[in-house]
Amino acid sequence: MTVTAQAVRRDAVKAPRRRGGGIAPPWLFAVPALLIYALVVLYPAFSGAGSAFTDWSGVGAQRSFVGLDNFQELFHDDQALGALRNTLLLTVAIVVVQNGIGLLLALGVHTGIKSRMVLRVIFFAPVVVSPVMVSFLWKYVYNPAPDAGLNAALGAIGLGGLRQDWLGNPSIALWSVAFTVIWQCAGYSMVIFLAGLEGVPAELHESAMVDGAGTVARFRHITWPLLAPAVTINLMLSTVGGLTLFTQIIAMTNGGPGYATDTLSTVLYKQAFVFGKFGYSTAVALVLAIFVAAVSFIQIGYLRSRETAA
Amino acid sequence: MALDRSVSRRRLLQLVGGATVTAGLAGALSACGGGNGSSSSGGPLKVIGAGSQEAGLRKALDDYKKANPDFDFNLSFSPADQLQTALRAQLAAGNAPDLHAVYPGNGSAMSMVQLSKANLLADLSSQSWTQKIPTGFKGAFQNDGKTFIFSPGTSVLGAIYNKKAFATAGVDVPTTWSELLSVCDKLKKKGIVPIALGAQTPWVTQLIDYALVPGTVYAKTPDFDDKMTAGTASFADSGWADAMDKYLELQKKGFFNDNPNGTTYEQATSMVGTGKAAMAVQVSAVLQAFRQASPTPDDLGMFPFPATDVAADNWIPGGVVVGIAVSAKSKKAEQAKKFIEYCGQPDVVNAWAEAVACVPLYSEGDAKVDPVLKPFLPYLKDNKAVPFMDQRWPNAEVQPTHFAVVQELLGGKSTVPAALKKMDEAYRKSA
Repeated sequence: MTVTAQAVRRDAVKAPRRRGGGIAPPWLFAVPALLIYALVVLYPAFSGAGSAFTDWSGVGAQRSFVGLDNFQELFHDDQALGALRNTLLLTVAIVVVQNGIGLLLALGVHTGIKSRMVLRVIFFAPVVVSPVMVSFLWKYVYNPAPDAGLNAALGAIGLGGLRQDWLGNPSIALWSVAFTVIWQCAGYSMVIFLAGLEGVPAELHESAMVDGAGTVARFRHITWPLLAPAVTINLMLSTVGGLTLFTQIIAMTNGGPGYATDTLSTVLYKQAFVFGKFGYSTAVALVLAIFVAAVSFIQIGYLRSRETAA
Repeated sequence: MALDRSVSRRRLLQLVGGATVTAGLAGALSACGGGNGSSSSGGPLKVIGAGSQEAGLRKALDDYKKANPDFDFNLSFSPADQLQTALRAQLAAGNAPDLHAVYPGNGSAMSMVQLSKANLLADLSSQSWTQKIPTGFKGAFQNDGKTFIFSPGTSVLGAIYNKKAFATAGVDVPTTWSELLSVCDKLKKKGIVPIALGAQTPWVTQLIDYALVPGTVYAKTPDFDDKMTAGTASFADSGWADAMDKYLELQKKGFFNDNPNGTTYEQATSMVGTGKAAMAVQVSAVLQAFRQASPTPDDLGMFPFPATDVAADNWIPGGVVVGIAVSAKSKKAEQAKKFIEYCGQPDVVNAWAEAVACVPLYSEGDAKVDPVLKPFLPYLKDNKAVPFMDQRWPNAEVQPTHFAVVQELLGGKSTVPAALKKMDEAYRKSA
């Protein structure tokens, strides 16, 4: 049955090519789209990349070619290296916790509980709010005053000793930002996992139950392997999102206190618009783009092989 | 099994697509709310000012429009931190407003020297008011002998204080560092926060250093900036270390509000306005914001923030306030220049200066000065005022480095020598 369905699909794809001797090759149809892509994506990207080899300030016409100086400076820049460390920490925290919570939420609302549709909407709701609005909301929640926001709530339930300067303490600020991102995006991961769960055939679970498999065994041997595509997509999206995180940081901490929450994205922004070093900023952007692409390729290669194995 | 998986993936993509559209729609909707248009051709003169110059700039534009019915303008304002980014992006894209805020001197990406070097500002040298710029302030207005900005005068930096809070604690205005510590101690014992500090807002972090450095550095070494330029002085081996030590001493003694790194400028302003805190070190240009935050604005006063125990060494920071300049690429440059020429008239300078609580650049006869600034006037008269430090810094990197290291110091993540080393490294980078 499976083989037949795949064969039919392959035939359906190949048929027009075999019969279409008089029709122009299909790639011609892609030309308009490719032209637009080249104009609005490739040309600006490559012309911008050229700035990485200059000392352009970002305004005016003065610029000189400086070769690889910007890249040399980047790899000796304590601020950039600190930002790389923060970026990686944030990414790991977001990927692990956001997807963990997303999976638990998806499993929770995939059950037969009565309010599951309402819960799905509630958990997904933060995703459709602008990240800037979410950041300002959480900035209010993180107010350091003992009688405001989260600190007031902790005091009210007798946990006053846990009150913190959530965004002002350099040791905590990064995790406060990470929590905000996870709060907003866990619903997004949930939706993707939920779609994956809906594709798991109920009869497999029923068969396993007949064979005496418990909830954990059925999750481990049936649900988890069949969720592989959803895991791939979620890990990819959250990794890229974590590596390029910008809005929430600028809105909540502006990279501070000090450099405690600076990421590569905020560093490149500050270098371009605050320090007036557009050339150097472009070098940071180039390195970030290559880094994100490399991580993504490695990750997708591994996850795809995992899907096949499953 | 494979079929099941393909169904799963299709369903998956449908949902992901839906989610993406939803997220995209949300983004598009939020983007709709943020647009403010930017065109220099046709329509009214487009003007973008800094938040702190609103009262004066708006009044000047309104008055000019009344006298010139054909003149029309579209005015918007931006907070200091956003000005450097939003406006700079417009400058880079070649669609800057006709008239826009520019910081005097050098030291920031939106400063007169940085922008005029990039040929982005129109030359105003032919206007008659430029001849009246006092010699000591020319560096704030001019680069290579040409005048590029107009500014109504000088702002001073000191402590904005709540007189009622001082009265409650039974303390008077301090004139030496020791007296200041004693006043803070008494205020604290009365349950009043002695000094409100909103260090989460980056530009606020620098103010206490700026208030102390004239006394700890410039009173002893008036040519410190020249020595820095020549490479014969450094932040680390100067009175900057003393200033930062004193900054931290105030924190260690508990004279700031709790968690200054998590407190914003607006929260600190409100604390002083309502008397919860007794004072905040600030520029006089923001007095209006403190008055708006106070139920009794007349209770607010200002005094020079003492840096040393030698009264004669307690100089003050007094710098030319943020000004306006004409975009070199403006199609309405002539119209904008005429408005600036109007601003240069002594009565307009006076009115603008009064509105933003600064001392007028020049005046004919007696200038109207906000009464709370009177304690600062003798310092200006005796040449004991030092321009805001960043106005002589050679690049736009030193000031944000200063913001960051102060936050690190307040957060206990750095030391004074390490902080000053970072500032020295930023200073030595090319302009």
